[in-house]
Amino acid sequence: MKTILQANNVNKTFGTKGNLYTALKNINLSISEGEYVGIMGPSGAGKSTLLNIFSTIDTPSSGEITIDGQNIVSMNEEKLSDFRRHKLGFIFQDYNLLDTLTVKENILLPLALSKVPAAEIEKRVEEIADMFSIREILDKYPYHISGGQKQRAAASRAIVTNPSLILADEPTGALDSKSATGLLESLSRLNQHNQATILMVTHDAYAASFCNRVIFINDGQLFKELHKDGMTRKAFFGQILEVLAMLGGGHHDAV
Amino acid sequence: MTLFKIAGKNIRKNFANYFLYFASMIFSIVIYFTFVSLKYDSTIQTASDGSQKISSAFSGAAVVLIVFVAVFIWYSNSFFTRKRKKEVGLYSLLGVRKKQIGRMLFYENFLMGILALIVGIALGAVLSRFFVMILMKVMGYAVMADFSISPAAIFNTFVVFMIISLITSVQGYRLIYRFKLIELFRADQEGEKEPKSSAVIALLSVALIGFGYWLALQILLTSKAWAAMGFMLTPLVILISVILGTYLLFNTLTVTLLKLARKHKTSYWRGLNLIGTSQLLYRMKGNARTLTIIAVLSATTLTAVGTAYSTYYNTRTNAELANPNSYMFIGVDSAAAAKADKAIKQAAGHKVLYHESIPLLEVDADTSSLNNALGEEDQSFTVISSRDFNRLAKLQGRDDAISLTGSEAAALEPVYLEGISPEYVGSSIKLKGEGFHKTIQFKTLKKYSVLNLGTVYSTIVVSDDMFAELKPNAKAMAVEAYSITHQDKAKELTELLDGILPEKAELSSFYGDYSRGMESSGLLMFMGGFLGLVFLAATGSIIYFKQLTEAGSDKARYMILHKIGVKKREIRKSVAKQVMFIFALPLAFGIAHCAVALSALSKMMMTNLVVPVVTCMGVYVGIYLIYYFLTVHAYCKIVTNRK
Repeated sequence: MKTILQANNVNKTFGTKGNLYTALKNINLSISEGEYVGIMGPSGAGKSTLLNIFSTIDTPSSGEITIDGQNIVSMNEEKLSDFRRHKLGFIFQDYNLLDTLTVKENILLPLALSKVPAAEIEKRVEEIADMFSIREILDKYPYHISGGQKQRAAASRAIVTNPSLILADEPTGALDSKSATGLLESLSRLNQHNQATILMVTHDAYAASFCNRVIFINDGQLFKELHKDGMTRKAFFGQILEVLAMLGGGHHDAV
Repeated sequence: MTLFKIAGKNIRKNFANYFLYFASMIFSIVIYFTFVSLKYDSTIQTASDGSQKISSAFSGAAVVLIVFVAVFIWYSNSFFTRKRKKEVGLYSLLGVRKKQIGRMLFYENFLMGILALIVGIALGAVLSRFFVMILMKVMGYAVMADFSISPAAIFNTFVVFMIISLITSVQGYRLIYRFKLIELFRADQEGEKEPKSSAVIALLSVALIGFGYWLALQILLTSKAWAAMGFMLTPLVILISVILGTYLLFNTLTVTLLKLARKHKTSYWRGLNLIGTSQLLYRMKGNARTLTIIAVLSATTLTAVGTAYSTYYNTRTNAELANPNSYMFIGVDSAAAAKADKAIKQAAGHKVLYHESIPLLEVDADTSSLNNALGEEDQSFTVISSRDFNRLAKLQGRDDAISLTGSEAAALEPVYLEGISPEYVGSSIKLKGEGFHKTIQFKTLKKYSVLNLGTVYSTIVVSDDMFAELKPNAKAMAVEAYSITHQDKAKELTELLDGILPEKAELSSFYGDYSRGMESSGLLMFMGGFLGLVFLAATGSIIYFKQLTEAGSDKARYMILHKIGVKKREIRKSVAKQVMFIFALPLAFGIAHCAVALSALSKMMMTNLVVPVVTCMGVYVGIYLIYYFLTVHAYCKIVTNRK
């Protein structure tokens, strides 16, 4: 299978000389097309830093990263913007919807940026709205809809351009369990039916149990990797909890 | 720690936040102080010889400045307190008593007021020197005596700003009482709702502006609307209808248009238009008041400066119109006339271009048939023969001759006002002497004269035969007319002639009118320019402040855009477009209002305002553009800063 993301020896240090803090140490990671990968770890482990680097909004101190065959470390600001626009889709914990735009406009924004013709935009938005069942809120503004609806809208925006890689940063962090389940199921459907590649950072074992593979990070280093491999979601959830217990974090969110 | 100390500490530690407010206070104080010290300056007071005109101009301008400065400080104060609502709310949440918070805000504001006052006066002391120099130059005074800071100016400034500062401090004290705690915490989220638009109000706004314009462009004396509402009320009606119209226009018409733009999907769904349009739409209602203030200020500034500059610009033309001859006087005393003749011929630096002695008649006339708007029935006229008129006109470089026969006459009216001056052509008047009546008919009207207005009455040209016929029955006299080179620099010669000739000789000189005109219009021009610059700086700053606040709250939005792959270049372009909309809108309306006001004015004043007014607008737009670029730059810097 085609490799979508390939990271070799990625290091990230913060601060100046004499006061260095290592956030990531020798991270090696490979994600193939159609995978649904979760990244877990206690607070401060470096999850978000890693995601930011993959998102190209932060740069590694050293190491190489290739996404969809393109080396993102050597790209300049201009090219990175284009790259993000065409190859990546983002889902953030706090939705990051623009409050001056309707849900529909939020979703079509990436297409508008790429100067896609209006008729095609219309068609694409309709398709996706059905996929995430948000058709009836399309003309509403973000402050009129619930958190779960917001996150589904954000997810719609993330996939509207058919990106090579969808990056999700704690997508269920601000949702109640019912909305979270709804979103996670939508993402799973997306992964299974559309072969979308998803990388999700989460500290919630329940959310992680929806993935095919979960990678644990501790103190900036890869700690362990779990594969679902045909296991039921519940069994996978149990395994994840065990690793978390090992890590010493108190992650015992309800199922 | 006392409240006073906390207040002091607050200022020291938060200086960056306070800076904008502090700077605008200092700016206002510097401007006001400079102006007041000019008013009290001995050099200017003696130079203008305590002329009533000048001192009243200064007082009037000072009042305008006070009002303006108060509004400006009020504006920056509210801008500043809005930023601090959360902080105040936090104090209250932590259990500090309302009274204590109020007192702390009061002290803080007052402390800053005093600080700004000290800095402002110190800066003003330096700057006023510089302004006196400019003023003297513009007014055409060579004297540059030593300029000193008057205690009266310091006192005046101190009192005015103490009062303003007290008022804003009390306002600060009341902040905590005016709002509920929850409102203080929500301060940042105000006004983020999609605005409604109304087609009726949008149309009304256009109608109001149109009505104002129409009213302003009426010819004063013949308009029924003006007659119905009266001369005092009509300008007020114009003002209110235009200002209200502008406000409604910014408030609803722009919203309607932006919504319309949103419907047009092919352009709206293209690149960042989506972002720019929707943000403008959201902000429009909140911005309407500011934009109206700016449009009105721009219009006022442009009109005032335009008028002042055109007076200055037209000083020479007006002096030439009133004095077609460099000098003219009545030959009442032949000895004095001979002495004056000698003085003119021997004057250093001037050559005589021509010297003519012209016989004239002084005649009383019954002008009741002239339908004179000023209502005088009996008037004295100066009569000149057509031969002498033609001779002088030719000498004065006019390619214009009059030929009259019988009782035909021509009127010379250099300050002809449409609708106010009588309509000469076609009407006739009765010349009266002792036991003598003669009716003459006006055949033509010339909007210039060949005689200096200061020496003679309104002038009528009659045929040579008529002149001879009138001569025995009227008061005859001879005037001496001179034209010299460099007449605008003839200060010494003019003073000399003033000494030689008796009062009765009615000496009129180009130089006299010209220098007086330069003096008063120079002052007007300086004051217009000064106030204009102040207003411009203030309007620019208001938009700048406002846009930067918006940039601050837009930051998160642009961060999202950055994440989903919008380039810096695109953001810059979108910001430039958005800010352009905010800048261009009030400017366009300011210029339109000003153009209407000035064309109404120029109709009344019969002067050509195009060149000076276009110059003023050019300068204004130029400086305004600098503000625009500064704002775009600062805005982009804020929203693309990733830290």
